[in-house]
Amino acid sequence: MDQPKVILSLMFFTMAFAFYVVTVLCYIGNWVFKKKWLGQLATTMTYVALFSTSMILVSRGFESGRAPFSNLYESMVLFVWALTVGYLILEYKTKMRIMGAFVMGVALVAMISASMLPYRFKSVEPLNPALQNKWNFLKDILEPFGLQNYAIGWLDFHVFTTFIGYAAFAIAFGLSIMYLIKDSYEKKDKRSTLIDSFPGADMLDELSYRSIAVGFPFLGIGIVSGAVWANAAWGQYWSWDPKETWSLITWFIYAAYLHARVTRGWRGRKAAYLAVVGFIAIIFLYWGVSFVLPGLHAYA
Amino acid sequence: MPMNTNNDSTQARPLKSRKGIFSKIWGVLASVKLTLFVLLLLAIVSIIGTVIEQNKELQFYYMTYGQGWGDFIIKLGLTDMYHALWFTAILGLIVVNIVVCTIERFPSKWRNLLGDKTNFKVDIIDKLSRSDNFELAGVPSSNKDGLLRVLKKKKYKHLIREEGTGFALHAWRGVIGRFGSDFTHVSLLVILLGAIIGSFWGYKDFRVVLVGDTMQVPNAEFELRLDNFWMEYYDSGQIKQYNSDLIILEDGKEVGKKHIWVNEPLYYKGIRFYQSSWGKAWNRLSGAEVILKTADGKFSDPIEINWMETKPIPTTGYSIKLVAYVSDFAFDTETKTVFSKSGETNNPAANFEIYKDGKVVFATWLLFNHPELVQSMPDASEGVLLLNGIRGILYSGISINKDPGTNIVWLGCLIMGLGCYFSFFVFHRRLWVRIEEVEGKTLVTLGGMINKNDLLFDKEFNLLVKTLKEDGSKSFAEVK
Repeated sequence: MDQPKVILSLMFFTMAFAFYVVTVLCYIGNWVFKKKWLGQLATTMTYVALFSTSMILVSRGFESGRAPFSNLYESMVLFVWALTVGYLILEYKTKMRIMGAFVMGVALVAMISASMLPYRFKSVEPLNPALQNKWNFLKDILEPFGLQNYAIGWLDFHVFTTFIGYAAFAIAFGLSIMYLIKDSYEKKDKRSTLIDSFPGADMLDELSYRSIAVGFPFLGIGIVSGAVWANAAWGQYWSWDPKETWSLITWFIYAAYLHARVTRGWRGRKAAYLAVVGFIAIIFLYWGVSFVLPGLHAYA
Repeated sequence: MPMNTNNDSTQARPLKSRKGIFSKIWGVLASVKLTLFVLLLLAIVSIIGTVIEQNKELQFYYMTYGQGWGDFIIKLGLTDMYHALWFTAILGLIVVNIVVCTIERFPSKWRNLLGDKTNFKVDIIDKLSRSDNFELAGVPSSNKDGLLRVLKKKKYKHLIREEGTGFALHAWRGVIGRFGSDFTHVSLLVILLGAIIGSFWGYKDFRVVLVGDTMQVPNAEFELRLDNFWMEYYDSGQIKQYNSDLIILEDGKEVGKKHIWVNEPLYYKGIRFYQSSWGKAWNRLSGAEVILKTADGKFSDPIEINWMETKPIPTTGYSIKLVAYVSDFAFDTETKTVFSKSGETNNPAANFEIYKDGKVVFATWLLFNHPELVQSMPDASEGVLLLNGIRGILYSGISINKDPGTNIVWLGCLIMGLGCYFSFFVFHRRLWVRIEEVEGKTLVTLGGMINKNDLLFDKEFNLLVKTLKEDGSKSFAEVK
């Protein structure tokens, strides 16, 4: 049997990988040596990396003949893509590059993890019956153009929204780490040329809240669209499968974060710890559950 | 960077000191600290059920965790913990927390935000961290319309009254953003309500139906007939899809049909039917083929017999009927009955009756894998029958699910979506403006406040001041 070729997407992956390494090095260089040209180069490289990441998804779509959102490898690339877009928005809005070292650092770690996935995850597998959830109206629209295989459905929507959420939480994670460092320096009135260039603790707190405020609804939409899909495929919208349960656990943690921020004694550091714990739970939800715990989501 | 001193003051407000045990309990139930505690508790205990496999047979827990831990797990209800009483109790606690919080905070919030604001005081401007002032040419009354037009264009609602040498103005937008959390809280109650309705008035079931057969639908006044079951494959040989053609029957009459597959259930009269499994029937055939081998070693032409059909055996005067089938032949010597050891087609055997002049004269089991094992004709000298082939029959496993709570759950999700949108993307902005006459000119002093997202409002406020300054004194025609 002929496996669909994945050479082009792997090539873009390799390129993107290299670009992310360079990007992160530039951001760190900009932070440590305070050279403006390094910062500008870093931003440029982020756009280049984003372009290659987009190309991974596009070429992947051509190779598999469907929307590229259906296994662990594809979702990792989607995560990196969304994280990069999110970071660029953050940088554009704040006009600050310091956060790049941390946020794009998370993107690089994700790229490294994706590259370490076994080949069977990178190859294109046909969709099993449960994964074939497509919106019929889209199929009808695309049919005349012969593109009906590219119709998306609840599954794709579920994956897409979930990973936008994850990316937002990853940004909040990076910012919360920065907040915790900056806050402890501010409280003890310690000075350090590296930490002084961080944005103020209040601003980091606000930005990480804004990221979670984006991530939380997306995670919610992701969970709900997953439930709609489960209802179509398995006959029940919720079955306490480990993946579902873990998504709920992260939802609880971020809900706690949102309440912590309006509670005396919890805003600030404790809330930031929750943002960090929340992202660790996301990582477990994403990788741990797939590889450690049994359940319906075994494929991704 | 201004501090968030004004962030959601209605929510963060400390509770009044309380006396009496009831008030104290009420105070705890109304606290956001309880919310935090319960959310984190739920997060932690939910992990248990993802590590310990749920809804297995009790034996499984003893074998995996040993006698002691197995007992412990079973006693605490960890075998089905998400439905255990204590887990439900924690969910109940969060429901009580939501209800009490809402009773405690919602009315005053409603009054503060939506109540009568005609007595607003512009002196608050002096206390706001975000304020600015500028001068416009002309007296206040000549600038009033221009200023209001700018605010209207920016989607602000306003109240204005004459005060001192000019006007006092209060403007606001996005007040719904303040109620996002209430929408979200209510949505959780709605979702839980849907789940409760589903668990009390819904049911789940599973039926196996053979192609051509009709199945009873539990608690419903219709039946389903399976007309066809088939699989689709990819070129690589992997299974692409499982399909069933279902016919809906009411009083034996066909009233509808539906081709279902995984991800495309049939929905009829509040009940959903899902393609959930398939297999080969272990006790039914669509037909079989037998051959008569005569005593002198000659083979007859194959005789095709459908299920429960009688066919003549050429040249013998007998006829033969296919009456039973097992896919994995076994014989119980005590009860002297034939049964199937498994659902696998390991040792298929078919049962035939042999008729002469319309009467049963003999019956025999023919084993596909072991021909000529037993006597198969009424008289051994007449030869033996060989089971030459079987035509199996497929069954389709249909999950049946009635859940009248599902749509309520979706409604809850929709409300939650609205709630999230309001809380995270609609911001409550308030402006207080003092418009005074100073030496024939207009002095405009304004202060602004937002409930969250100060970063955004800093820019927005400055832009607003700039626009008011530029367009405030322009006449309508000039702005156009």
